[in-house]
Order: sequence, then C-alpha cells, then structure tokens
Amino acid sequence: MKLPFAKAAGLALLMAAAHGAASAEWTRTWAIEWYEPAHYYGAETGIIDPGTDCPKGTNPEPDWIGVLKKAGYTEQEALWLRDPSHPYRVPNHGQNQMAFRGEGRANVYVHPELAADPGMQGVTGTIGEGLDLDGDKTNGFVSVDGKTTGIDNQFYRTMGCWKYFRGPPRLSYNAESRNDEMREGRWTVLIVASGEGDDPMNDDKVRVGFYDSTDKLVKDGNGDIATGYTFRIQPHARFEAILEAKTVDGVIVSTSPTKEIWLRDPSYARELQLLQAQLQLTMKDDGSLSGILAGYRPWKRLYQGMVEARGSVIEQLTWAELPGVWNALKRGADYSPDGANGEKTHISFALKIDAVRAYVMTPDASRKVSGVRSYKSEAPPMGPSLHAFFSNRFRVTDGLVPDSDGVILAGPDAPILPPTVTGAELRARLKASAKGAD
Amino acid sequence: MTKRFNRRSILRGAVAGAGVCVGVPALDAFLNGNGSAYADKAALPTRFGTYFWGLGLTDTPLGGSRWVPETVGRGYEATPELISIKHLRHKVSVFSGFRVIGDGKPNVVHWSGHAAILGGEAPARNRVMAGPSFDTAVADALGAGMRFKQVDVAASGGQSACHSTRNGATFATPETTPLELYQRLFGEGFQDPNDPNWTPDPSIVLRRSVLSGIAEQRKALISEVGRSDQLKLDQYFTSLREIEKQLEIQLQRPEPCEACEVPDAPKDLGNSVTIDVVNANSKMLAKLLAMGLACNQTRVFNFVHTPGTSITYIAGEQKTYHQITHDEPTDTTLGYQPKTSELAGLVMGAFGDFLNEMEAIQEGEGTLLDHMLVMAFSDTGYAKIHSLENIPVLFAGGAGGRHIAGQHIASKGEPITRLSLTAQQLVGVPRGEFGMGAMRTSRPVTEVMA
Repeated sequence: MKLPFAKAAGLALLMAAAHGAASAEWTRTWAIEWYEPAHYYGAETGIIDPGTDCPKGTNPEPDWIGVLKKAGYTEQEALWLRDPSHPYRVPNHGQNQMAFRGEGRANVYVHPELAADPGMQGVTGTIGEGLDLDGDKTNGFVSVDGKTTGIDNQFYRTMGCWKYFRGPPRLSYNAESRNDEMREGRWTVLIVASGEGDDPMNDDKVRVGFYDSTDKLVKDGNGDIATGYTFRIQPHARFEAILEAKTVDGVIVSTSPTKEIWLRDPSYARELQLLQAQLQLTMKDDGSLSGILAGYRPWKRLYQGMVEARGSVIEQLTWAELPGVWNALKRGADYSPDGANGEKTHISFALKIDAVRAYVMTPDASRKVSGVRSYKSEAPPMGPSLHAFFSNRFRVTDGLVPDSDGVILAGPDAPILPPTVTGAELRARLKASAKGAD
Repeated sequence: MTKRFNRRSILRGAVAGAGVCVGVPALDAFLNGNGSAYADKAALPTRFGTYFWGLGLTDTPLGGSRWVPETVGRGYEATPELISIKHLRHKVSVFSGFRVIGDGKPNVVHWSGHAAILGGEAPARNRVMAGPSFDTAVADALGAGMRFKQVDVAASGGQSACHSTRNGATFATPETTPLELYQRLFGEGFQDPNDPNWTPDPSIVLRRSVLSGIAEQRKALISEVGRSDQLKLDQYFTSLREIEKQLEIQLQRPEPCEACEVPDAPKDLGNSVTIDVVNANSKMLAKLLAMGLACNQTRVFNFVHTPGTSITYIAGEQKTYHQITHDEPTDTTLGYQPKTSELAGLVMGAFGDFLNEMEAIQEGEGTLLDHMLVMAFSDTGYAKIHSLENIPVLFAGGAGGRHIAGQHIASKGEPITRLSLTAQQLVGVPRGEFGMGAMRTSRPVTEVMA
C-alpha cells in the first residue's frame, strides 16, 4: 500500500506519539561486548597482590578447617568433611555440610545472620570509578584523573578486595566468567541513543535505551565480538532501561537520575535493578561506546544470587565466607528508597560498559530503530526461572545441591561419621531421616 | 504406560518351535513423571579411538600457554604439559587454536566442548547432542565383523562419563574398572584366536536364534510409545542386533593374531578418584584395551580418563582439580596457575602411559600405535572460565600410514569440527563433511593427511 507522503508522515508521527517516543533526528546503536563492575585496580599485576586499593592484597583464603571448628565441629570431623572423598560431597557441587555452621547448626547461606561475622577487608584506597550519585562532592572516591570527586561506589569499597571481583580490567574472575557466558550467547544487551538536535555530539535532548535481544553476539576470528552485526530488540517485561541525557563533545551524560531501571547483570544475581540511575558514556571515533552506568542496587538480591549459585561452591572458589559477604554488604549499603523505612536496602554501584557498533532493528525486524522508546507493552510474561542461575542443569535448594535421588546429603543433625561408613549407608540414614520428617 | 506393555513385560516369540523372550529397557513410559521411579594375512587393520580428559590444559587469559608449542609444523618442542609424550612426538600431532562455535547457543559448561567435537554442533542443553557422535560412524565403518563394534572405557569411574551415542540422547555405558574391561574383552564368549582346539559353542547357536523371534512384539511396542522411548528402544535393539552379529562371528574360527596374548585377570583397584589411582587404573585399562585391539576384539574405542568436571585430586589435599582450575589465581611471577598446571601434567602423564601401551605391542613391522589413530581431546581451553576457545586436541598414531604425524597445526579460531572430520577421513570413513551450522565443514586438515 502506498500512502501520500504527508499522510504517511502524519501516521508515523501518530504512531511514534502512541509509543511515547521523542522524534529523533539521529539514532546510534550498539551491542554490549563487555561489562563489569567498575572497580579501580590499584596493583601493578596479579589478582591477589597488594596495591593502593588493597594494601594487604585480597582477602586471604579462609582456613576452612578452622571455620568448621569455630562452628562447633571437632577437628576430626572438620578434616573428614574437607576430605574430597567425603560422601556428603555432591560431585562438582561442593560439600553441602559446609552450610550448617550457624547457631544451632543453622544453614548460614539462608541465615547468615545466625553466624559470626568473619569480617571482610574492604578497599582503603581513595581512587575509584563510578559516578557521583548523591551530588555530595565531599564523600566517595576521587576519579583516576583526579578531576572528579564524590564518586559513590560503596559496592567497590565493600567488595573490591574480594578475589572474586578484583583484577585488572577484564581479568577478574567475575568479569571473565560472566562475560564469557554472554559472549558465548547466553544473553545480549543492546544500547540505543537518539537525540532531537542536529549534532549528535552536542545535543541537549538525548534518550538512551538498554534492551534485551535474543540474537546472540558473534565472535570474529580473533575471538573478539564482531562489529556491525544486526540485532532485533526482544521486548522484555523487566529488562529495559530508558534514561534521559544530553551529549557534550560526544559524551552522553544523564540530565537527571532515572528512578528505576533493570537490565541483565554480569553476576550470579542475573538481574540488575538500579535506583537513581545515571550514565556517562563516550561515543568514540571508531564507532564504539564506553563508559559508566551507575545507581543503587539491592544488595540482598546480589547475595541471594551467590547462594543460588551453590553456597559452598562459591565460598570455595572465591575464598570468602558467605556470612562475611552478607555482613559486609549490609554495612556498606548506603541508600534507602521510599518505603524502606530508612533501611539501607541498596548499595551504590557502577558498571563499566564497552559496546560495539551494531545495527538494531525493531522487534519484528521490519526496520532499523529510529529512536528510543519502551517495548515493555509488547513483552511476553516473564518465565519462572529468571533468578535460577543453574535452573537448566541442576536444582539448588537453600544453597545446597541434592544428589541424583533428590536427597540433600547434609543437615544440622546429619551424622558426621568416620570414613569407615560408606556413602550408601549415609544416604540410607539421611533418606530415612527425610522420610520421617515428611 | 502402554496398553500392552509395562516394566515387567517380556517380548516373546518363537524360534524353531521353541519359545524365546527378551527383556525391555526402562522406558519413560514405565516411569513416573519425574523419571525417578517405575510406573587373514590381509593388510593389518586400522583402529580408531577417542581419548578424552577433562579441564583442558593450562592457558592464561593474557595469551600464555603451558601446552601450545611455539614451533608450528614439524619438530615442535615438548611443552611442559606435553612432556609425557616427548619421546613419541614424531607419532603425535598437536592442534591448537581450534574452537567451538555456539551458533547462538550458550556454553553449557563441561558439556558443549565434548558434545560439539563428537556431535558436530554445539548442544542446546546438557546431556543432549544434536545427533550421533562421530565415533559411531567410525565403528560402523571399521567395526563390522568385530566381536565388539566399539568398546567404551572410563578410567575414573562414572557410568555417565562416556558420550558415545547413536541418537544424541542415550549414551554408551563404559567399563570403569580393569576387571570389568577384562571380563568384557576376555571373559565369557572370548575365543582365543590362537587356540588350536577351537570349536563352535553349541549354546551360542541357540542364543543366536533367540533374538530374531521377537520381531512382531518389538514392532508393537515401538508403535505404542512416545518419541523419546522410541529413541531408547532404537538404541536398545541396535545393541541387540550387534549382539546377534557378535554371536555369528563366534561361530567362525578367528584368524590367528600374532600379537595376541591373553592377559591374567586384574584386581579391582577400587573407586577412589585420587589422581594416582585414576592414573594407575587408566594404565591398566590401556594395557587391557591394547591387547583387546591386538586380539581383534574391537577396532574402535572411546576412552575417558577424567570427565569434563574432573573431581580427581592429589591424595592428602582438600581441593579437587575442578575446584583448583576455578579458584587458583594466576601466579604473577610464573604467569600461569601453578597447581592447575601440575595437575594437567599429571593427567597428561596418563595419556603418555596410554600411548606407551599402544606402542609396546609389535604388529608386523610397526607397532599397534602405528596402525591406529587416537584422537585425544578435552572440552575446554582456559578451564577457569570454561572457555570454548583453544581446546587442546592431539592425534596420535600412524593410522596405517595415512597420518603425517609429528606436526603442530596452529589455527586462529577455526571450528574444531575440522579435526573431527580429519580424524574420520584418516581412518577411512567415507565422509565429505561434518558438523552443522557454523561448525559444518568440508575442509579436513590436509597437512596431516598422506
């Protein structure tokens, strides 16, 4: 069907208005190829080595025998629990009994408050990355170039000396692991920026949108994410973020905080809610985009994500006691949203983003996007497994992994028997005990 | 549950007037919803085997490697983690830089690599392949007339460690102990090809006939179950048909085998997974397998040293290999993960022992190793992040003169299915291409092909 130009233009304008989109004079589009918590790395080399950020290096690996003894286990029991042949271990999924070291042998993964706080050493350096979220230039970190003060990034201050999050850019365990997942196709995040002015590099009315896509990233022959591929926006009931901004000499900066945004998170939490979100992204000459997206994130969800990723496995791999993580996040939290009755439920946080130039299409792939708007009304209902990190591979209950028969080989009353007792005998006792409890 | 069949059903028929019956495997249709309970002098033959170990070899994210030789082509140097094959380098080719391309499917950690190399396509989910593993095509090409079309072995236990499949969903059950492997290769039904007093076993004549008598009931059962169960039954009946063929072979006098010496039955080494025990188990299994190959019991095998999530460990230590790959920081002075590299070296030590067993058997003017091709591979490159790039692959053996061994082939991100295709062509499988999607290739690595 062919429409007269004026009529078609009018219809297009009407449609754009219906979707709440500003009329855009220019639109630029990217796909995130790497993103990670914005953590300034203060050492010369290595992951655990001392630096200006962490003068003592990262938090040391816990003495797990000592941890168990402190929790009331005998040395013999502790040594046996730590033996790789102990029958309570579920192959590849850790030692379930490690959970039961709280008060009254409570599961410390779900009840971290019932365990003694082992403490976690935080960042003591003054340099940090992120944005000034609260407008107070007298608190927070100073930028690397020294020009910006008041950078709010309590997450970095709290977790920055944890081996899991520390390392040179792109080399922390968290960043490597989660980004490798994304780059191998587990999710894709698109960025669209559009403006109303004539000069994209200097425009007072800019909108930036972050969208989901089910089109996967593509690697080139060097293993880098290829530039210039086409992606469709996949409307998502949660993962969408739209921020108001302006551009100054090619730098996109927020004009006001956005109350709440959501996007996929490169962490075990899988989702990132940011309150009072702001951004600062640089449009580079090569077409790429780099910068910071910051705001306040809910710290309990972050913790819960680690529990869901199998508590004892996370503790072993990252060298931290989860109750220590819980307490450190609680101490470091610095934001109480409306309705929280003053409770600091959120912690200031910043993501460092690198994105490559990409073609972004509307969900039906009929045309290139020509502005930033919400697609949430077109989204299907969210699936039930959004949170579950390993939902497609195995079940995790309260941070524990049942064996192939569904039995959790551990518990507050589970016998910590000597090596002379076989795994089959232990299983039989635990199954009988679980049956009795039903 | 079907109308006529349940888990206690026996498929019945008659042969020469005598009643015969065959049991039925555990089909989904018989289980509850969770699946947790019941509701000549001819040319010497070429053999082929896969050899798998978990957790790759040691890379660093900055590009360092403890296994990739610097020299490309012939005369590559023995790198620290390949030191165990140093004396056999002229019979081993090393392939670096090959990768799995996901085609949009996410990395199913500890599975995508193994499944893609064998199945030709990155899998969509855990424990499922897009189709048959290519070793079965090799078994069809090389295994005809053998007592066992193929033999599957797992040196560190685990019935689910072997990923040979004909339908992508059900997998071969491996022998996990030397005793099991001995009993399979040399136990009941074994015919010493060099025994002068060989006569056909009359009980085999009877057993041979049994399986052909249930055709009608077999068809009926297949028609009553779902797709998933049909696949299981297909695998099951294929296995039964192979037994029939094995029995037929046992009615014929075997050709004498110069190199065949029936070994004594070994003792069971137990279930411990410490690396020293796994390696001892692996060596014993390799010795038995080598003799099984020399005795023409089979020409195709899959040997799993350690599964993708190897939980082997050094005796007396608290951490397993899998854990160490993830939690050990890179030593800034050395530039790699030292404990991970130590364990990788120990694991590859077992591969050196494996090859030694194949090399120790003289066959004609060469060795058994000269008349076979072993495609050894892992499922990951940099194990810390389950990387699907730079997955280590080694080709060992002469493949009957077809393999130009002793080279290092360095790729820059090409699909690893090129190596799967190369292996198949080297042992004479008539296949022009292999793989699906971005992993589909018709380009073998011709540099190693005579």
